[in-house]
Amino acid sequence: MEILDKLKEKFEILQSQEKREDLALVGTTEKDLIPLLVYLKEYEGYKTLVMISCVDWIEEGKFELVYNLWNPSKKHNILVKTKIPREAPKFQTIYKIWPQAEAYEREIHEMFGVDFEGNPTQHEELILEDWDDIPPMRRDFDTLKYSMEKFGEREPKSGIIIRKQISEQYDEWRRK
Amino acid sequence: MSKEEVRLFIGPQHPGVTGNMSVEVLLKGDTITWAKTHIGYLHRGFEKLMERRIYIKSFPLVCRICVPEPDTNEENFARGLEELAGIEIPERAKWIRTLVLELSRLQMFIMWYGGIAGSMGLSTPVQWGIGDRDYILDLFEELTGGRIYHIYIMPGGVRKDLPEGFEERVLKLMDIIEQRLPEYDEIIMENAVVQKRLKGLAKIPRDWVDEMGITGPVARACGFPYDVRKDHPYEAYPYLDFDVITEDGCDAWAMLLVRRREIDLSINLIRQIIEKMPKGEFLARLPNVLYWKIPPGETYVKSEATRGEFGYYMVSDGSDKPRRVHVNGPSFVHGITLLERLLVGQNIADVAPIMVSLQTCPPEMER
Repeated sequence: MEILDKLKEKFEILQSQEKREDLALVGTTEKDLIPLLVYLKEYEGYKTLVMISCVDWIEEGKFELVYNLWNPSKKHNILVKTKIPREAPKFQTIYKIWPQAEAYEREIHEMFGVDFEGNPTQHEELILEDWDDIPPMRRDFDTLKYSMEKFGEREPKSGIIIRKQISEQYDEWRRK
Repeated sequence: MSKEEVRLFIGPQHPGVTGNMSVEVLLKGDTITWAKTHIGYLHRGFEKLMERRIYIKSFPLVCRICVPEPDTNEENFARGLEELAGIEIPERAKWIRTLVLELSRLQMFIMWYGGIAGSMGLSTPVQWGIGDRDYILDLFEELTGGRIYHIYIMPGGVRKDLPEGFEERVLKLMDIIEQRLPEYDEIIMENAVVQKRLKGLAKIPRDWVDEMGITGPVARACGFPYDVRKDHPYEAYPYLDFDVITEDGCDAWAMLLVRRREIDLSINLIRQIIEKMPKGEFLARLPNVLYWKIPPGETYVKSEATRGEFGYYMVSDGSDKPRRVHVNGPSFVHGITLLERLLVGQNIADVAPIMVSLQTCPPEMER
């Protein structure tokens, strides 16, 4: 594909793949990611940032940041990815390039604990309130353990017992 | 915040707000000087729950990501899964899926058409909208067994074939809805209050559209012909004949016109689908879904919901559970980035019409 060849000449590309006619995938280094995004926006017409996502590769000790760009004239999507260390993860913000990145980065900061340097609102709560554990979307966060510690074991609801009694009574009635 | 300003929370319990979200505003007299969206009242952690479940068990979860229009989620998730696993689905399944998607779009638009009137105090069309939507829900109940959540679209096709005589009943209902629409137009479009309030309201600068990633009817109201059905055709849309609807106003009135014309388009598309639908199989042969290991890979699939582009980013690591599913709804941008900027300088009474015009849907912001 044309765009992938162009990127390979200019940047350090670790991984590239053409998934579909309208979707390509590029993996690059931490250092080259923001220049690559700016290049795609300014020179190749990938004007729109569709989303930012984060994947936890806990076995490798890495977080993978995924930036999804869309080219409105060529109708083409490109996923630009990079891996950052999982210990004390930090990256640069891109909210000055695309304003909606601010909210996406705020969500990733809350859910994965990635620190986006320069993002003014990332420390504000977006979804969670008074969260006191490790960020919940990390793979090593144990939902069951957290709820047991936080809320304790639940007593069975009285409705279940009543239903059980009714079914027992029904069984007795059938045996007669 | 100066002494002249008042801080006010609109929502989460407010009839004008679309769902469980709130907007915090600073007011100077009646004019908003600053706005901030607050979400988190509806967070159920679907993305985390999906990582703990095998793929087939995620289907009852994904449809709950957007309550009024669940089929887009099911279809996206199924299509992403098929792409990762490399499954070809039968031709008829594609057409049935498209029929379900269009019916779902139609019921959402009809409800929205009543809703925009309700946000300005016209309560009659709200009841009409919900009432007429119910006829479509009846069809869904017949087809899938559920009125709101269908869990009908499966990987490999759809769960069941169309019942006998279903096509005729759909066509009959389309005629009934088409007869009803002029009544709506009379009470909404020709209403002087609606025209006066919506024309020029929520004017979006044209350069925001590409920069912020605005999609769907909001972008089309600014003259940008962005429609995933046309740009990245999926299912049976490449075989259907339609034009992308655009308007040139950039304001809430243009958004209303776009959505009104979308109702006509949906009815037209449903008639085309029923006319052209092929016969044959409706479900591909699948491996045992309880022990189904998906090869490693990742993909991004998207489709056109009533609010805009709805996308699923899915990553598989070779096991029977997904590594990551990122659900990207259009409301995330519309409800946070765009709404906060759009409200500044508006009148406090116009918050409800603006939010309904952008059609923000809180469940897809928090997943």
